[in-house]
Amino acid sequence: MKLICTQDNFKKAITNSERIVSRQNTLPILNNILLEASKGYLKITATNLEIGIEIKIGAKIEKEGRITVPAKLLGNFSSNLTEGENMDIEATDQNLKIKNGSTKAMIKGFSAEDFPLIPQKNTEKALGIAITQLKDIFSKILISVAHNEARQELTGVNVTFGEKELLFASTDGFRLSEYVLKLNEGSVNRERYSELMEKTKNIIIPTNTLLELNRIISNNFEDGEVGIFIEEGQIFFEVREIKLVSRLINGKYPEYKHIMPQNYKTTITGERKVLQNALKIAGVFVNNKSNEVVLKIDAGENKIIIDTKSAEVGENSTEINFKAQGESQEIVFNLKYLLEGINVVTTNSLALSANSDSSPVAIRELDTKTGEPLNNFTYIIMPIKN
Amino acid sequence: MTNEELWQSALNEIELSISKANFITWLKGTRIISNTEGKIVISVPNGFAKEWLENKYNAYILKALRNIQPDIKSATCLIATPKEEYLPRKESMMDAIIAPQKNDSRIEKKNFTVNIENNLNPKYTFENFIIGGNNELAHAACVAVSQNLGKIYNPLFIYGGVGLGKTHLIQSIGNKILEKNPAFKVKYITSERFTSNLIDALQNQKINEFKEYYQKMDILIIDDIQFISGKEKTQEEFFHIFNYLYQLNKQIVLSSDRPPKSIQILEERLRSRFEGGMIADVSSPDLETRLAILRKKVADEELEISEDALLFVATNIKNNIRELEGALNRLIVSSQLTGAEITVAFAKNQLSELISSGIKKGITPKHIIKAVSAFYDIDQNDLVLKNRKKEIVRPRQVAMYLLRSEIDFSYPGIGEKLGGRDHTTAIHAFEKISKNLLTDAKLNEEIAQIKNQLYKLD
Repeated sequence: MKLICTQDNFKKAITNSERIVSRQNTLPILNNILLEASKGYLKITATNLEIGIEIKIGAKIEKEGRITVPAKLLGNFSSNLTEGENMDIEATDQNLKIKNGSTKAMIKGFSAEDFPLIPQKNTEKALGIAITQLKDIFSKILISVAHNEARQELTGVNVTFGEKELLFASTDGFRLSEYVLKLNEGSVNRERYSELMEKTKNIIIPTNTLLELNRIISNNFEDGEVGIFIEEGQIFFEVREIKLVSRLINGKYPEYKHIMPQNYKTTITGERKVLQNALKIAGVFVNNKSNEVVLKIDAGENKIIIDTKSAEVGENSTEINFKAQGESQEIVFNLKYLLEGINVVTTNSLALSANSDSSPVAIRELDTKTGEPLNNFTYIIMPIKN
Repeated sequence: MTNEELWQSALNEIELSISKANFITWLKGTRIISNTEGKIVISVPNGFAKEWLENKYNAYILKALRNIQPDIKSATCLIATPKEEYLPRKESMMDAIIAPQKNDSRIEKKNFTVNIENNLNPKYTFENFIIGGNNELAHAACVAVSQNLGKIYNPLFIYGGVGLGKTHLIQSIGNKILEKNPAFKVKYITSERFTSNLIDALQNQKINEFKEYYQKMDILIIDDIQFISGKEKTQEEFFHIFNYLYQLNKQIVLSSDRPPKSIQILEERLRSRFEGGMIADVSSPDLETRLAILRKKVADEELEISEDALLFVATNIKNNIRELEGALNRLIVSSQLTGAEITVAFAKNQLSELISSGIKKGITPKHIIKAVSAFYDIDQNDLVLKNRKKEIVRPRQVAMYLLRSEIDFSYPGIGEKLGGRDHTTAIHAFEKISKNLLTDAKLNEEIAQIKNQLYKLD
């Protein structure tokens, strides 16, 4: 194998792929990255057997071939190279020789024979999602995923296929995020999508996969689209020269629709920042164990009083003006869960809707023009039982 | 032959031709789902296994299968959902979200999960550490270290008996540092874990990775370092890691149940290094500190317990903070169960067992004198008589020490029992033995053995 490519492309590809290489593994070859030179491009592959990543970069290939080298080593080396210089890469026997500007390196590698084969897709693209939209979805959905392995299915994000929309949902048992993505007809392969809808109602994508995808798109792309291919037990993402494949989580995702209230007795609306600040102040006085914050909604006066109290440090009470419709309420929340939901709201104003002090409460974004709650993102949180 | 049997015998054969790591990686969780006219379909857990088995191991698999059933034609893989192996959940569990419980301390405790990477338990912080005369110095040293990593007291060596808060202090350092800068690499590990990780690394020829891993740390906290006593290889590797980190001004924090010079079988070069930084001890808390600890805990849990009852607990449970908290927990739980208010009488009743085990029932001065004389093989009368032979003086002092420490006998009483000696003699003996216990390992052992004997006597 012998080739020339730019340092910039090479470094980016190594950084993007090196991250998923697991540090601890029964199979030593999994600590490696595979470099493959074939006509016109260099392909870089890495996997931890849950996620696989393939990145193609343009290169002048003088001789085709393949080799694997330790990922960490290559990552440390390439991230510090001189910018703007080309890289001369050559593999002889089991050694990888790299020349970049004034520096030369020889990295001991292994034969590519034992490197895992990355599953390749056999089906047509099912749909595409705009990168800007994906970033928004990830920021809102990934907060509620369960980290506890006890319920495997909750460690992933549930995606339900609807005729006109995709429903993303995540929950850790205490709160739930749901994002409704209207399908863009131009990006959906109707034939393949209908096939999918017939076979499966939903899939569960591992959180790590989405975090990885999020990192890749956030670090590399401003716009464009991610192509999504779904098959039995696995999912493929393609964005320009980067391909990501992941297993899907087996299991039955809990029914959650019946938890989301259809109507609310009380809805308060107002500026997100005001509520956010009041809650952050409250956080100083919260009892570290129970994390309780009390929201008193005074519908008649159009205000909310936020109270926290801790036997150790003292207490705090903040009054803020919010527009309130419906009944007055007094609800106890876990401050962490409440604040996390509010933090991901991207609009200036938000709506908080409740029925009672013991039923699910919803946080939604507010349409600036109509002043009505938007229904594409809903954050459901359970009040603390009294 | 069923599919399971067929696959099991095939696996047994394949296992012989490939490495263990490969076998586990690629063939774990596979099974035959159908066998129609010699066409085998194998279910695999993911796409990677499918690709590998179909493309790389197909020959092995076919060969193994054909050895058992010669008419096998082909073997293909299918990514399949494994059968539901766990028990079906109850309906109520299927609800996506549930209300968090209000202030249930037993549930809330579980929220403190130990970080897998650095092993720190977030519940240990300086903020919830109660400072008293017994631990003032150690606390100040730990706080100073957390503010000035690797610069002032390096290494920091904290020692003291069990359940006095060593672990709390040293973990607080780690938590404080992470709170200030999450990018810092912090590792907390017990020396026992350190040893077993080292052995694993040696076995798997990963010793370099092991070393590299520890050498990356900005602060390395090792708990119960006395357990590396006598483990030569561990001491050697630890020595190198220690030196490496020390050279780079990285912080090292150690804890032990005794000072460095009393750790037996510790290489001299390690001992001198341990002593090279700051050594601070934590001792048993005084009554005020014990009371403060209880009050703090009660406030944390937002409970109502009368001051008298707390005082009762603090007065009677003396030796160790862990026992103190255990006693309080016991009171809380039993009061929650019975609905009774926690009063002095209630506490007395509930803790009778714990308290009496502190000062063991039924042990009299006679027992102690008997046990001591039996252990040192001298006549009981020699202990009492005026005799300043060295072989008698020391056992006599030990006896005085035990009379004081085990049954809380008064100093004048001790003097009286042992031949009408002055109470100052008894005080001197008690203090001398207490002091020697910190440094003299042999004495430690002797006392432990006598105690064992004592509590068997009855």
